[in-house]
Amino acid sequence: MPLTIVEILLGVLKIFSFMMPVLISVALLVYMERKVLGAIQLRRGPNVVGPFGILQSFADVLKLLTKENLLPTNSNKFLFIFAPMLTLLLALIAWAVIPVSSTYVIANINIGILYLFAVSSFGVYGVIIAGWASNSQYPFLGALRSAAQMISYEVSIGFVIITVLICVGSLNLIDIVESQKNVWFALPLFPMFVVFIISALAETNRLPFDLPEDEATLVAGFFTEYSSISFGLFFLGEYANMILMSSLTVILFLGGWYPPIDIFPLNAIPGLIWFCFKVFLILFVFLWVRATFPRYRYDQLMRLGWKIFLPLTLIWVVLTSSFLFYFDMLPK
Amino acid sequence: MFALGTFYFFSIFLIFTSLSVIFSKNPVNSVLFLVLSFLNTTFLFILIGAEFVGIILAIVYIGAVAILFLFVVMMLDIELIDIVSNIKKYIPLASMFGIVIISEIIYLTVVKVSKGDLVFQVSNTNNTESIGNVLYTKFFIDFQLSGIALLLAMIGAIVLTHIYKPSIKRQNIYDQNSVIGSERVSLKNVKKGEGIDT
Repeated sequence: MPLTIVEILLGVLKIFSFMMPVLISVALLVYMERKVLGAIQLRRGPNVVGPFGILQSFADVLKLLTKENLLPTNSNKFLFIFAPMLTLLLALIAWAVIPVSSTYVIANINIGILYLFAVSSFGVYGVIIAGWASNSQYPFLGALRSAAQMISYEVSIGFVIITVLICVGSLNLIDIVESQKNVWFALPLFPMFVVFIISALAETNRLPFDLPEDEATLVAGFFTEYSSISFGLFFLGEYANMILMSSLTVILFLGGWYPPIDIFPLNAIPGLIWFCFKVFLILFVFLWVRATFPRYRYDQLMRLGWKIFLPLTLIWVVLTSSFLFYFDMLPK
Repeated sequence: MFALGTFYFFSIFLIFTSLSVIFSKNPVNSVLFLVLSFLNTTFLFILIGAEFVGIILAIVYIGAVAILFLFVVMMLDIELIDIVSNIKKYIPLASMFGIVIISEIIYLTVVKVSKGDLVFQVSNTNNTESIGNVLYTKFFIDFQLSGIALLLAMIGAIVLTHIYKPSIKRQNIYDQNSVIGSERVSLKNVKKGEGIDT
């Protein structure tokens, strides 16, 4: 089946129609983070560049672009430059399978959820390569912490995804959303929803689990040695990952593009708007958590992951599957 | 034609990365090449239509196993010269493994195919469903046995590395939270000129 030029061009356009909104929403998310933190801490936040300071992030990006890109001595030059590129690449290719409405998706593949899980688990390579290639102690310690942390929380994320998959009976993301038409999984699987959000915080290295970039002990963690655009790429990648994990939460638990109740004024709003609104709410939770909770200690972080979340999610997998089996509700 | 081209591209790249795993002088580079070769294997699996196997391979090997390798290799301070000079020592063992693996491949590709055991059957279920249908039915014993082998390896690793010392201080959050004020602080009437016997 040879592809025609038109099909290829349309594909490229479709990819851009995902990539540009993601990158722009990263800039707006940074602005939103600073405004929300400002409001919670009774400050004003950015308010100088543009109306209400909305162009602040774009000004920051321009500043980063004009700075000099420094390479530490005796660092592994190729890997040092490769790591931030890998981080942003992984944060962007994951969007290939995210369905933002019932028809609009770049690639509707059979194993969409596994693809997302795989891509999000590769994210640790950007961090660990950056830490090692910098040839410096603080980044290295940050990288090791982050490797252990991300692997630990992936285990519980895996079990949460399995619980949802048992209820759906398909690995396709559109099927997962469509099976939530009547009731969102956040209600029957509420504990799993909470575990997933907390694990998403740990997976994206956000507060209160931002030990890889803990200022008080590690300067800036794995990107201590990065400057200019290579730092900018890490920054973009991290925030794009936050948006990605939020949309994954929306797809798995909050019914994707479906309104809460299927009645007139709600179901007249297009699905894309519902999807973006839910992602926005989850992102607000991310920022709210950041302003509210102090940072975890490293052993507390590991204890939470392995001794609380792992047994809890494992029991819920068994409970959910036994319940569905007993009442003969397993998806055919 | 396109599929054939991509197949040759990925398989040649796979051979190159696998050789680089052995010939890299820096062990960290070796592990990164190993990751690349896992990635190529994933692509090859996806190319023959086994997308489930391919992605599971990526999740397990790239997402977990290789990261732990990288973790360990980065922390070890290995002398580069030692590895290069020791390479000859491993040749007999390595060639033994090589012969076993090559004979397995020949058995599978030549003998089994000529008997017709491995003929590709087109089914209308996708391969996730096909694996799900046979995993706990036809291959129940094999699956459980490999699970037990992994469990044993895990217990072995824990037994080898776990050190229990009573002197290690551990935090018990339940004990900390169940403390009441009178256990920690008490009010004493101290007479003038005398101390308190603690």
